[in-house]
Amino acid sequence: MKISPQDVLNALKAVEDPDLHRDIVSLGFVKDLEVGDGRVSFTIQLTTPACPVKDQLAAAARQAVAALGVADVQVRMTSQVMTPMREKNPLIPQVKNTVAVASGKGGVGKSTVAANLAVALMRTGAKVGLMDTDVYGPSVPMLMGGSTAPHVVEGKIEPPVEYGIKIISMAYFLPKNEAVIWRGPMLHKTIQQFLGEVRWGELDYLLMDMPPGTGDIQLSLSQTIPLTGAVIVSTPQDLALTVASKAIAMFQKLNVPILGIVENMSYYLCPQCGHREDIFGHGGARDAANKLGFPFLGEIPLDVNVRIQSDSGKPVALDDTTPHGKAFQDIAGALAAQISVVNYQVGPEITIE
Amino acid sequence: MQLTPRKIKLAAGNDTLAIEWSDGHVSSYPYRYLRDKCPCASCTGAEVPTGAVASPFPMFGNKPLKPERAELVGRYALQIFWNDNHSTGIYSFEYLRECCPCGECAVRRPVEDSAPGAA
Repeated sequence: MKISPQDVLNALKAVEDPDLHRDIVSLGFVKDLEVGDGRVSFTIQLTTPACPVKDQLAAAARQAVAALGVADVQVRMTSQVMTPMREKNPLIPQVKNTVAVASGKGGVGKSTVAANLAVALMRTGAKVGLMDTDVYGPSVPMLMGGSTAPHVVEGKIEPPVEYGIKIISMAYFLPKNEAVIWRGPMLHKTIQQFLGEVRWGELDYLLMDMPPGTGDIQLSLSQTIPLTGAVIVSTPQDLALTVASKAIAMFQKLNVPILGIVENMSYYLCPQCGHREDIFGHGGARDAANKLGFPFLGEIPLDVNVRIQSDSGKPVALDDTTPHGKAFQDIAGALAAQISVVNYQVGPEITIE
Repeated sequence: MQLTPRKIKLAAGNDTLAIEWSDGHVSSYPYRYLRDKCPCASCTGAEVPTGAVASPFPMFGNKPLKPERAELVGRYALQIFWNDNHSTGIYSFEYLRECCPCGECAVRRPVEDSAPGAA
């Protein structure tokens, strides 16, 4: 029986992306289709290298084509990270997605989560930047190790690169024991410089570690660029979740999509006896996400290794064979999937005449 | 997600700015009305010293009011640059939709102190 390229495409229409809820043919994922005698080869181009269901999709596609009676099916997987269709970003035109990592309350582990998500995304092959927007309490350089400083090349700041991730932080510009004691307008200027005067180059994801709260920096950032979305980090306790809902309310007011909620310090597993202690309660962030209708991206247990490695500048996500590394890898995959979903949802372009 | 504009026309004719919304509704704002609705701090009553105060005597050659250009602010608002150099108002989409002057939207609003566009 002779098989036409159309037959193959029809068969592949049965394969659906679980996040975008559409088949891979109408999404335009299928490329380079070649149909020969008893053999079919094609490429599936996903919207992120961090796709959590990459292998599943490849297997489903292979099976769908094999069911036509093709003996030799070759599936290649690649990815091309999308950018929101609506917004053009004159300040950072080569950055495809900008994601704020935020919380309401301080001390829930935003910076640790931001640093590890950046590492986890980088490890899937994405080009990643990490911007520390916490001007008063910058902590990203310590979390990411390294001691290189930014320098100026042709009038623009060349950001240090740690573990393949471009980083900028106020910490690079301050003597160690000095503090930033500024009012709002200075913060606004700093955010604009971090965006427009840093040579970010081409990036798939620029993660922004936010200070706690709903103040100057959050507002400046949301006004200066059209953020792709925000990730909310919270501990499971009610106190943290109540304040996190303020951050959610702020982003909704500013029309920034909530990409999901991450539960940090989810529980403590005693390394001595294996007893599990739900120090801050457990599952609170998942319940809140379900109630508010946002995706729950995952949970990270409290663990002394996360703290030790964070303090020594070696994010746990560098090794995904550890339970914590794996947790961050899974959350990064879920986050990347949500970014793709938002990028497909974003409505028509706003034109000003 | 909230309602967002699909198309913003600065000069939609008859001294109006028009917005076509993602739900299909079309709002048409007279310039004067929009300017009176400017949400910036100085227009809403905060005491902010302004450089050039507009002449209180309109007969002395004031140009007719019109927006010169507009820019999107993040994902949520429009900043209008008026031809009298006023540009501090950031009109959020939510606010613009709330103050749509059309009859259909007006009946859904609580009664205001002064009629829109009375000036």
